[in-house]
Amino acid sequence: MSEVAIQTQKLTRKFGDLIAVDGIDLQVTAGQFFGFLGPNGAGKSTTIKILTGLLAPTSGSMQLLGVDFAAHPVEVKRQIGVVPEGMGLFERLTGSEYLKFVGRMYGLDRVTTQRRSEELLDFMQLADRPKTMIADYSHGMQKKLALAAAVIHGPRILFLDEPFEGVDALAAGALKALLARMTERGTTIFLTSHVLEIVERLCSHVAIIHKGRLVAQGSLEELRAGISVEAGDKTTLEQIFLSVVRQDGTERPQLEELSWLM
Amino acid sequence: MADVAQSVNFFEQIRQVSALRWRILRNSMRKKNNRLDLIGMIVTGVFGGILVVGLSFAFYAGAYAFLSQGRLEWMALLFWGIFLFWQIFPVFVAGFGANFEFRALLRFPLSLRALYIIGLAYGFADFSAMASVCWLLAMTAGSTTAKPGLLPAMLLIVAAFMLLNATLERLIGSWLERLLSRRRTRELFLGLFILSMVSLNFVTPLVQRYSASARPAFLRLLPYFAWLPPSLAGRSLAAVTRLQPAGFLLNFAILLFYVVLFSALLWRRFAAQYRGEELSETAAPARPAVRPIAATDDGPDRLGLLSPQVAAIVRKEFRYLTRNGFAYITLLMPPLLILIFSMNFAGRHPNVGGGGVSTEMFFPGMMAYLILILMAPAYNCFAYEGRGIQAYFTAPLRFREVFLAKNLMLVAVLSVEIMLSLAMLAWRVGLPSAHMLVATCAAIIFTIIGQLTIANWSSLKFPRKMEFGQMRGQRQSGMAVLVAFGSQILMGGISAVILFTGIWTGNLWLPAEAFVFLAAAAVGGYFASLDALTRLAEEKKEVLIETLTR
Repeated sequence: MSEVAIQTQKLTRKFGDLIAVDGIDLQVTAGQFFGFLGPNGAGKSTTIKILTGLLAPTSGSMQLLGVDFAAHPVEVKRQIGVVPEGMGLFERLTGSEYLKFVGRMYGLDRVTTQRRSEELLDFMQLADRPKTMIADYSHGMQKKLALAAAVIHGPRILFLDEPFEGVDALAAGALKALLARMTERGTTIFLTSHVLEIVERLCSHVAIIHKGRLVAQGSLEELRAGISVEAGDKTTLEQIFLSVVRQDGTERPQLEELSWLM
Repeated sequence: MADVAQSVNFFEQIRQVSALRWRILRNSMRKKNNRLDLIGMIVTGVFGGILVVGLSFAFYAGAYAFLSQGRLEWMALLFWGIFLFWQIFPVFVAGFGANFEFRALLRFPLSLRALYIIGLAYGFADFSAMASVCWLLAMTAGSTTAKPGLLPAMLLIVAAFMLLNATLERLIGSWLERLLSRRRTRELFLGLFILSMVSLNFVTPLVQRYSASARPAFLRLLPYFAWLPPSLAGRSLAAVTRLQPAGFLLNFAILLFYVVLFSALLWRRFAAQYRGEELSETAAPARPAVRPIAATDDGPDRLGLLSPQVAAIVRKEFRYLTRNGFAYITLLMPPLLILIFSMNFAGRHPNVGGGGVSTEMFFPGMMAYLILILMAPAYNCFAYEGRGIQAYFTAPLRFREVFLAKNLMLVAVLSVEIMLSLAMLAWRVGLPSAHMLVATCAAIIFTIIGQLTIANWSSLKFPRKMEFGQMRGQRQSGMAVLVAFGSQILMGGISAVILFTGIWTGNLWLPAEAFVFLAAAAVGGYFASLDALTRLAEEKKEVLIETLTR
């Protein structure tokens, strides 16, 4: 039986009266490339923050790689890598200094940290600016650096919140290849993105969250099987997404309501 | 085809911007931290209010006395006092008042005229402006009490003077904003600014030495001051009092000329911003690689005794310190201050007579002052972390290690500063007796370690994001300021009582023994607090991340 990488039970997070995440039961098998989708404000970032220790759940529990997060947070964090919303960079360090800092924070020895930093900077095409501070990087460069920092310790689970936002096509291609290689070697990747084409191309499994509730979860094939389309057409992830999200009556905004604009 | 927005009423736009500011303030009160911050600001504001009210009486009495005693020329001095405060205080303390985000407003169909009025109105919202307006009104009341017939002229002069000051203050703020828009010039300016502030302390000794020879030069310069706005305001009033309409008209016309000139210059600056002048920093242009990254090597690990996590954070803190121009200059201050104070107060220096502070008291006094300055940033120790704060919560470490590393760095910096200051003291003033030296050193450990525990708690409870080397809009949380103020008074009070108890009882080693005991207790308390602070960090992490990544 495959190892479970991420498992949650009734994971809930409230902000005052607002229930941002409402009793989510999530299960991600090790080695999966897992896409986590949802409309704006559905609870994607809140969920990823809870799963990475940036936010405490109001109730519920979660285990990563079989270890209870609440009981052993340090042990769990050692196994995961994160590109959080906002990227979490120290902007007054250079890229190289930042990677060395992160490597040491994860307990890598100095020689390994140094070697991996150099390799990652080369791969991310950031090595030609050794003295530039992160504050002076472009948004795309910061994103690449954040991704490099998230993988420097060879995590077993990688959480990526909108990893391709602001990254140029050239770098995005290289990153996708890197992520695909990581999943082949057993790393679990948990990714949120608004670009459904990317998720469809990369992810083997998908969960859709809507208004804080998990409304669909499974492999792409399983989700496609639940949607009826015209004979001969292949169901796209966008169709699945819209179909699932509209089940509770949520409709695409009607242009007729903005007649004064046309 | 979409219909085009109709032309917007000028006053409606100004009303909307005012309503926006009010709404932002009200909405911010939903958060407990902001409410506490406001309370802290109000408490601090009470002290400012006392100063303003006290000086209002002084301006009232001054204006009344000068006019009723016929010393009309002296009125200009009052105008000069207000003028200098209004223009210089914002640069010193308030960082040019509230940020006026032109670029945020420019996307609306706002006329340049409306933008100008809004910008000017912000100028009246500064503490310096409000205090100065109070004092000018007090002067008006004093003048009217002395000579009731002066009221219309006084109102006219004061109105023109207010407009001139508000305009000039905005103008200086706008020029400085342009100058400070780039990090490097900003940090350079800040360094020069702090050094110039420090060098002000040299004025007294220099005046004492050169006052006689500088006096004729100063007297030669004096007539030129007569043509500057505060003197013109004073002379206008004097002319009215003497019933000299021509004199009043001439002086008042020149005063108005200044108003028009500054307004035109300010209009020009605002117009440039209205056209889309970009002041913010852009990404640095690509530079060729100076050396291949593979060649970099940190050399042997000098922090091998520490855990990798603590060592990594200490290194990061050191890099942040060396890249923060403001912090650099702050570190230069302690030895400089000892030099300055030894020139002014210490008993052994030739500049000071026999009544100076004794070496025995100068040493603990200076150390207390240094700790007061250098400990202040510890009360908001995450201020410069920005988005990086998230790394501490995603990395596999307990938060006690973050505090340990940050505190270790601060203690290292303080140790270097104290050693430098000690050397400077030994050179300038001489060392105190052995019992005082031991007592002060133990007191230093007690006050630093004792404060660190409170400062760590304050950093978690009342975080406030700050930008590197920036003056504008940089302010600690009001509550953090109060906590720092309270704990420093407490520590200083305990230390003073112990020191004086030793003197009163004649038991010279009593303070040393008491401070050694307190230092040991403070160190024990500090380590005992780390686990509680780790739990608090977990509880407060959402607020901390939200505040610092904003």
